Amino acid sequence: MALLEVNNLDVRFAVRGGDLKALRGISFSLDKGERLGLVGESGAGKSVAAFAILNLIARPGYIAGGEVLFDGRNLATMKPRELRDIRGHRIAMIFQDPMMTLNPVISIGTQMVETLQAHRRISTADARAIAIDNLRKVQIPSPEKRLDQYPHELSGGMRQRVIIAIALLLEPEIIIADEPTTALDVTIQAEIMALLLELCEQEQVALMLITHDLGVVAQVTQRMLVMYSGRIIEQGPTRDIIHHPRHPYTQGLIKALPQVGEPGTRLYQIPGSMPSLNRVPPGCPFNPRCPFVMERCLETMPDYVRSGAVDVACYEVEDRLAAGKAILEVGQ
Amino acid sequence: MSADKAPLVRVRQLEKRFDLSGGLLDQLRFREGRLTRHREYVHAINGVDLDIEPGEALCVVGESGCGKSTVARTVMGLLSPTAGEVHYEGQRIDNLSRAAAMPYRRKMQMIFQNPYASLNPRMTIQQTLEEPIRFHRRDWKPEQVQAKVAEVMASVGIDPDWGKRFGHEFSGGQRQRIAIARALVVDPEFIVADEPISALDVSIQAQVLNLLKEAQDSRGLTYLFITHDLAVVEHFGTRVAVMYLGRICELATTATLFAKPRHPYTQALLSAIPRLEDERPNHIRLQGEVPTPVQLPSGCVFHGRCPYANARCKEEIPRLIATDDGTRVACHGVEEGRL
Repeated sequence: MALLEVNNLDVRFAVRGGDLKALRGISFSLDKGERLGLVGESGAGKSVAAFAILNLIARPGYIAGGEVLFDGRNLATMKPRELRDIRGHRIAMIFQDPMMTLNPVISIGTQMVETLQAHRRISTADARAIAIDNLRKVQIPSPEKRLDQYPHELSGGMRQRVIIAIALLLEPEIIIADEPTTALDVTIQAEIMALLLELCEQEQVALMLITHDLGVVAQVTQRMLVMYSGRIIEQGPTRDIIHHPRHPYTQGLIKALPQVGEPGTRLYQIPGSMPSLNRVPPGCPFNPRCPFVMERCLETMPDYVRSGAVDVACYEVEDRLAAGKAILEVGQ
Repeated sequence: MSADKAPLVRVRQLEKRFDLSGGLLDQLRFREGRLTRHREYVHAINGVDLDIEPGEALCVVGESGCGKSTVARTVMGLLSPTAGEVHYEGQRIDNLSRAAAMPYRRKMQMIFQNPYASLNPRMTIQQTLEEPIRFHRRDWKPEQVQAKVAEVMASVGIDPDWGKRFGHEFSGGQRQRIAIARALVVDPEFIVADEPISALDVSIQAQVLNLLKEAQDSRGLTYLFITHDLAVVEHFGTRVAVMYLGRICELATTATLFAKPRHPYTQALLSAIPRLEDERPNHIRLQGEVPTPVQLPSGCVFHGRCPYANARCKEEIPRLIATDDGTRVACHGVEEGRL
């Protein structure tokens, strides 16, 4: 059985003039120790999905339907008291900006001890010992000294290491990392990503990695989901999708990246941009930008079809598969 | 060098310091019974030499704090250098009066990183695009100005009928097109683009890169392109300068740099780009982090993180030295043949 199972999750934001549908029925699962990548452009609903899993959607947003099953229990309908035992404890979260996540007026040590004591009956001395252990795990030099420092005394990379150490404190089963390295420089990003990957493997923690960087997804994850306008349009094994993307949007995203060894050539460009939530067209949300658009795409949202180990939501792909023909590639 | 082969832009021994010490009262310290005055500087650029040839796209790459944006702003005259010179077509321009610098301001234009901040929210697109023309071409008639604006808008893929709209009505990619149009309306020769695509989504980045490339081909532009994204450099640049802590550590043609990076920092930077064909992170691990530009390390600025550093690297500042394949590298190891 999957560790985490998301079924038909529907999240809306109640604003003047009606509901904005931020997640329009997404389903996926995460196994024990598995690393899953969630990619898409800004506004696709990646972060909303992460927040919704932990039932952290704040008003005016709300979960309008669907379920998040963790350990057989539905987090979407769970009481706040029960959720406290799960959030930060069994499912930990790492956010993009390490300066916003750490409390600037409390020392690193106190923040770590606080986290431990919120979930366990443990003496401060023991908690500090665990904290030092964890700082060592994330390769922070002289951890004893760091405990008494404040976030502003650390560099961006060091702060993100502290955040990872805090996330690992309570030995979670899942870590949700929302763009954990976007605010960092390339060389620091590489260090942090490698560290996160090693720790997840070592401790058998499942990782849900949200990012817009396909290169990072390729390096770190085993399976990936591609989101567009609040829908998952393609999901399957990472390598499979990176090398043979089926959906025209995924194909376009990969072709739009400047590739090694092709300097100076014109890049493939997806025309237009992703619609904002109040302007999502009926039918397939990608239809205004899709080179293969058909009448059906304008009317109804396609269901998933299987192609190998990959699930794709696209009528064009569906027709091609049914006819036993090869899937078309954009830009050819 | 003969006059006809002179580079379009020449930067010599450029230095820029920013004073951090505040007012006189902030600078006073009471130490060992005596009152002393204490000043602190950010050493943003420390002796940069660059020649930008007509028609090329010179990319400057490096991580945050390496001084790449300061180079861009100093070349444009938005900041005045602490020391060193900037020449345009053989004429020194960093010490000109406002009036004397005016013709160069038309020839040199800039595109900024964040199109949400660089467009005036209270001006329509038409006004935004007309302003530079009115400023630099005082003799043009209103019809001429409007025709020029319409022509440039069409060339960057913005419908000229949208001129009455405001910046906030456009998406990020469209705003960056408008910012590019604003640079192009005065027919510049040289464009400094400071991270023009890093605020945009992947599918939009390709659109803007293609547009910059088209503009270069059709107008014969020369670019100074500032970025932290090496994949973009490989796609866009003819030559690359890699900066670290205010110094250039390697300068090479794009093809050579990617095929044969010489400086240990360039090698580490290249290995850190996550590539689609990677199965795991495979970067070169550096020790520590970038030191602060307030207290520069002695000798080679990279020695504290370099796996090959020796005693000489800690003391002597390496100079840019040409290697046999034309790459210029500032590294004692390369010079001594160790690397």
